[in-house]
Amino acid sequence: MRRNFTFSWAVVWLIGITVIALAAPLIAPYNPRLPVGAALSPAGDGTMLGTDGLGRDLLSRLMYGARYSLLSSLAATLITLSIGLTLGLLASGSVGFVDRMLLALANAGLAIPGLLLAMLFVAGIGPGLPTVILAVGLGGSPGFIRLARSIFKSLMQEGYVDAARALGAGRVRIALFHLLPNAMPQLVALATTHYAWAFLGTTTLTFLGLAGDPSLPEWGAMLDAGRTYLIQAPILSLLPGLLITLTVFAVHRAGLGLSTSSQPG
Amino acid sequence: MKANYLRLLLLSTTLLVGACAPVQQTESSLNYGLTLSPSGLDPHLNASAELGIPLSSVYDTLVFRDPDTGEFVPGLADSWKISPDGLTYTFELRDDVHFHDGTPFNANAVRANIDYIVDPQNHSQKAVSMLGPLVEVVVLSEYRVSFQLSEPFAPLLDSLSQVYLGIASPSALEEWGPAEYQFHQIGTGPYRFIEYIPNDHILLERNPDYAWGPSIYHRQNAAIHQIEFRFYEFEATRSLALESGQIDIIGEVPFREAERLSDDSRFSLYPTPIPGQPMQFYFNTRVSPTDDPLVREALILAVDRERIVDTIFGATSPTASGPLSDVLFGPLLPNRLTAYDPNRAGALLDQAGWVDLDGDGIREKGGSKLALVLVTPTWGSNPQAAQLIDVSWEILGASVEVISAPAFGPLKEQQSNGEYNAIGLNFFGTDADLLRPSYSSSGLYNWSGIQDPDLDQLLNMAASEVHDPSLRASFYQSAIDRMERAFVVLPMRDYVDLVVARSDLIGLRFSLQGWFPFLIDLTFSS
Amino acid sequence: MVPLPNRSHLQLLTVIGRRLIEGLFTAWAAVTLTFFALRIAGGDPADNLLAQGLASAEQAQALRQQLGLDHPLGIQYLEFMRNLTRGDLGISLYTARPVGRVIGEQLPYTIALALSGLMIALALGFVFGALAAWRERTAEGRFAAAMSDLATALPVAFTGILILYLALMLSLAIGRPMAAPGLLLPAIVLGITSSGPIGRVVQAGLRESLNSEYILAARARGLPGGARLLWHAVRPALSPVISLIALEAAYLFSGTVVTETVFSRPGLGRLLVKSILEADFPIAQALVVLAALFYTTSHILADLAAIMLDPRQRRAG
Repeated sequence: MRRNFTFSWAVVWLIGITVIALAAPLIAPYNPRLPVGAALSPAGDGTMLGTDGLGRDLLSRLMYGARYSLLSSLAATLITLSIGLTLGLLASGSVGFVDRMLLALANAGLAIPGLLLAMLFVAGIGPGLPTVILAVGLGGSPGFIRLARSIFKSLMQEGYVDAARALGAGRVRIALFHLLPNAMPQLVALATTHYAWAFLGTTTLTFLGLAGDPSLPEWGAMLDAGRTYLIQAPILSLLPGLLITLTVFAVHRAGLGLSTSSQPG
Repeated sequence: MKANYLRLLLLSTTLLVGACAPVQQTESSLNYGLTLSPSGLDPHLNASAELGIPLSSVYDTLVFRDPDTGEFVPGLADSWKISPDGLTYTFELRDDVHFHDGTPFNANAVRANIDYIVDPQNHSQKAVSMLGPLVEVVVLSEYRVSFQLSEPFAPLLDSLSQVYLGIASPSALEEWGPAEYQFHQIGTGPYRFIEYIPNDHILLERNPDYAWGPSIYHRQNAAIHQIEFRFYEFEATRSLALESGQIDIIGEVPFREAERLSDDSRFSLYPTPIPGQPMQFYFNTRVSPTDDPLVREALILAVDRERIVDTIFGATSPTASGPLSDVLFGPLLPNRLTAYDPNRAGALLDQAGWVDLDGDGIREKGGSKLALVLVTPTWGSNPQAAQLIDVSWEILGASVEVISAPAFGPLKEQQSNGEYNAIGLNFFGTDADLLRPSYSSSGLYNWSGIQDPDLDQLLNMAASEVHDPSLRASFYQSAIDRMERAFVVLPMRDYVDLVVARSDLIGLRFSLQGWFPFLIDLTFSS
Repeated sequence: MVPLPNRSHLQLLTVIGRRLIEGLFTAWAAVTLTFFALRIAGGDPADNLLAQGLASAEQAQALRQQLGLDHPLGIQYLEFMRNLTRGDLGISLYTARPVGRVIGEQLPYTIALALSGLMIALALGFVFGALAAWRERTAEGRFAAAMSDLATALPVAFTGILILYLALMLSLAIGRPMAAPGLLLPAIVLGITSSGPIGRVVQAGLRESLNSEYILAARARGLPGGARLLWHAVRPALSPVISLIALEAAYLFSGTVVTETVFSRPGLGRLLVKSILEADFPIAQALVVLAALFYTTSHILADLAAIMLDPRQRRAG
């Protein structure tokens, strides 16, 4: 019962910030990059949460921050999903050499911690938000390939796969019409948990300054930028940080809830 | 019996007198906060200003400059003569100086230092360019040395007064080599270099043998025995470190914190202006749309510099009035601050053909949008200024992309790509010749791409004018006038270093360059 | 310890040997991946230097020859591997100092932070995990379990800044030194954020062994609870924890990078961020290679320790 309670709150939270993220250009009171008042002014007098170090409205920046943070990590997750599902299917569908090669490749990637792997890519290409997205997407792929592969492999033991093969279905057909649909519940749970990781990864990289744009209204970047004013205006840093934390909790909870409901029996 | 009493009397008198004698304030220590951790600490090879804070007290220079009047006073050189054609500088050196390792200071030492600096294998980042057209250093006798130039070079004396040309022990340079010497620096200064742990601390200890200080030092010898320097990259911790007693003095305190601390009787604020170039952004004249002088003028007019400087720096920093700071170079500036005028800026853009036809807020001309790329370094509050300038230009009707460069390398790389319309870079310095690398056609830091032969001539003549200071100044006045008419630079603010120290720290003074304290003069009031 | 019958000696050696070989292969693959990723994406370091005005055209060419950059990529790779086995990690593009030296200077700080962080993580993890398992159905137990969950999802950056803020406020209030280059605060932050998985694993392992027949029987016989019982229950739970310590290396790594940044502490994490932002490839590359090697080694050691500690694992191979 307790689990359901937190699960519902998690879902509510996620729906809430997703709506804000999508609607930010419409509902944000001000342009997040435009100074609207004196720097570091407190709440009231036109702003609900006050202004940041350059006089920009904090509330608007947080709203756009939801947009940038959520969508960037979503894009990274989609990259991971594409690579992970394709290669995972490929590995599970072939036996012997190809499978072992892919597995070895994934293991090699795993030998480097995901964050480090992502930083490696940024090191090569140079700072920038698209690079961060690509880096997090690539960095999460090795782990995802392995997990996806084991899901598919265990499904392949199921009866209907043999039946389909006996009926002459090709490997691609089996993959698309039998494996994927049946793996859906587990894959969704896996993707959700992975999204939490991608969200943390993206916001960490932007926190470290690897996104390049100093005015970026994104929660991780704001967490970093707010540090300069930690004593005078702590909410500049603490609010984005809190939002990141709550979102990660929520996604985790949602992923847990989904995975328990997707387990057979 | 009488003799014994006499001895006892003598002994007690001696003790009493000894006890009443003034106590030597030698056993004491100071914790000094630094900000950025430099990537290299050798002033002969590295360019950071931060390293000069400890190291200007480890080295002496041939000459020093009076921080109040700017005039040159003897240092390691007792006197000097400049030949009428300006090509030969002859220095008579002191004969009573030795390095911290005991080896003697002499003309050979001077030559060894210059050799070390100009050696291309050592990749000196700053010191070598400060020497200009130096051909060779000739050892005339044990305490007599001459610098031979291929052309007259007025800034040479100023260069020789800076820590980057401080004289190091040749044996130490030889023993450690360019990579390791920074950890074992040996000079002649009032403090000895004890150790350096990168990113952690630097330790200096008083040099008890120091007896050859220049007249600008108020003390003959240092009072504070040991000084430890620690790094505080994170601004918010600087004021806290002061308040908690972890450090006794630190610079580059954020202005709100500095104001708060100066209200506290335990601390005193020393706002120290830094001469040189102000925080500024160069326009790229080689790339559209900033190749059009009307556009550049508009972009300057569109920026409310006073308001931006006020937002970021409060009242502690003056708005810049030209390509050089008002401090030290005020007489050279034509004193004409371009006032904020967004309407005129818009009119200029209209005149240049950039109009918003489709109502999307961005101006177009001949089918292309008014797109600007602004490259900003990440230090010194440049990014904050860049963000606000970005906003000003977007209001004007441009679409602006801001790119951050976290170190000089990436900054230069952006510049080499050539795809920028504005780029931030400034150098500090105490000689107006620092304009030349930035504004002459072939200058190493001519990032605006300005090509003006008359300007080149003015700057060159000024650099060669060794003997007549007022003639030299007039050259610079004309040069600066030309630069301003070309609208190649957007100056923002004159640097002021906000230094906060314990109120009982007495004697704090800074060199002409502004960044470097005279550590020798510091004492604690009891 | 459980006495070793002779025939499983051979089994043990086989298992160990296999793990070692797998580990070596993984390490090699990781290092190779690093090399190619950086070279292909990052381009010619000599070109970078040229673009940055830190070298003239002749110097760049000389550097290219010195670094062997004018050879085809395959040969470069072989030279890189050869240098690596010799322990030569190259020189920094900026300061021309040997990379090994630069890393060596920063290493002690990161080790100090990682070890203290790990100790705090273990302490917290054990306390909460044991409490959650021992007092499973009570309020304290549930609270402890929730703490472990909380710790898993806490982002390091936010935790660090929050604790930094609290410490700053505290020191302002009482006027005593805090913050800046201490070890305590960063270690606490690192410990808290890494303790979650440890707590979960301890909880699960303890719960299983507490309910095992052996313990139930002992309790039925009226043996006192407390320390002795705890030790017998804990032993089998140790093995997954040891494995977990290897996995913790991942958390610890990203944790140290962020923690060092938040607290402006010297160390390898900050060196890595700096080298990436400044495009000082030799340093970035060396750090990634070292991390990969460290990872793989700790995985192997964890596997081996697990095999030693839990005889059931030996046959599983």
